[in-house]
Amino acid sequence: MDEKTQLSRRRFMGIAVWAVGGLISAALAIPAIAYIVGPALQANKTREWIRLSSTSKVELGVPTLFKAKIQRQTGWIVNEEELSVYVLTDDGRDFVAMSNICTHLGCRVRWVAERGQFFCPCHNGVFDKNGKVVSGPPPRPLDRFEVKVENDQLFIQGG
Amino acid sequence: MATRVGNWFDERLGWRHVWEAIFLRKVPKVNWLYTLGSATLFVAINQIVTGILLTIYYVPTPDHAYDSVQYITTQVSAGWLIRGLHHWGASAMVVLVGLHMLRVILHGAYKYPREMTWLTGVVLLLITIGFGFTGYLLPWDQKAYWATTVGTRIAATAPGVGDLILRVMRGGDELTAVTLARFFGVHVWVLPATLIALVALHLYLIIRIGISAVPRRGG
Repeated sequence: MDEKTQLSRRRFMGIAVWAVGGLISAALAIPAIAYIVGPALQANKTREWIRLSSTSKVELGVPTLFKAKIQRQTGWIVNEEELSVYVLTDDGRDFVAMSNICTHLGCRVRWVAERGQFFCPCHNGVFDKNGKVVSGPPPRPLDRFEVKVENDQLFIQGG
Repeated sequence: MATRVGNWFDERLGWRHVWEAIFLRKVPKVNWLYTLGSATLFVAINQIVTGILLTIYYVPTPDHAYDSVQYITTQVSAGWLIRGLHHWGASAMVVLVGLHMLRVILHGAYKYPREMTWLTGVVLLLITIGFGFTGYLLPWDQKAYWATTVGTRIAATAPGVGDLILRVMRGGDELTAVTLARFFGVHVWVLPATLIALVALHLYLIIRIGISAVPRRGG
């Protein structure tokens, strides 16, 4: 065996070791990344109709707070959570259901009857009764739920 | 470019010397049985990586342990693979350290000047068994529960201190949430810390003294 073939054999083995090592690492690293980010990519939206109340309980012209219990699956745990929704109607036929979650950073807004506005305690966000931003940092109006009325019962869609 | 970056670091870290000492050291002409130690190290690294990944979802309490393991196996992306690698790797590791030890015994490789390499290896074997014993309880299924009930009762047969050993292992008289929590703590903190320290010492000794050659026939 001359000098040249000896060198190339050694080099070939070196490259083979790195290649096999890289292959094994990739075979573990790729599933590992999927494993870590997997649950973050799973859609957690349940699109079912949730009954809020009977339509007659909604006051005319003033946002009324309703609470609904929903089941939410997080990992292997099923939690019962409370969903708070402000419902507004001017004529008792068309309803608007607004989330009480401030669009700024997720604090909970409340209806201040004396001033006729929604107020967020965290950073002084203020919304009018339709959920439009009056002042403060919120970037957009309060989020709305899809609404339907069946047999005088009010339903919202979401989870 | 790569050479320049390599030189820059080598000037400051001296890593080429370390690299040569570890990977380019002279070894006697040996056979495939001499790869059993490296194979064990490979599986140990697999156990560390997959074990760390499992702790991302696993919760060591009686009301969540079983469900979180089921969640990993059936819901999480590649969870079946990560858990499977850890599960089968555990068995492979016990088999490999056993074979590795047999090879060392049969070749007389534990003799002067390698007694310390041998002794650290013996402790590493015990640590590996400790990993198997504590890890077996963590899925918190029927097999895990009864295996640990039996295992701790075996420890209790030791004369004199047996009952104390059982109580220390279980954290009380019964096998409870306390047992699960302490088995988890030992499995992910105590044993890995000692394993890594001893593997480092074991490898240092192998690099410092070198490995023994295959014994001569009739020698």
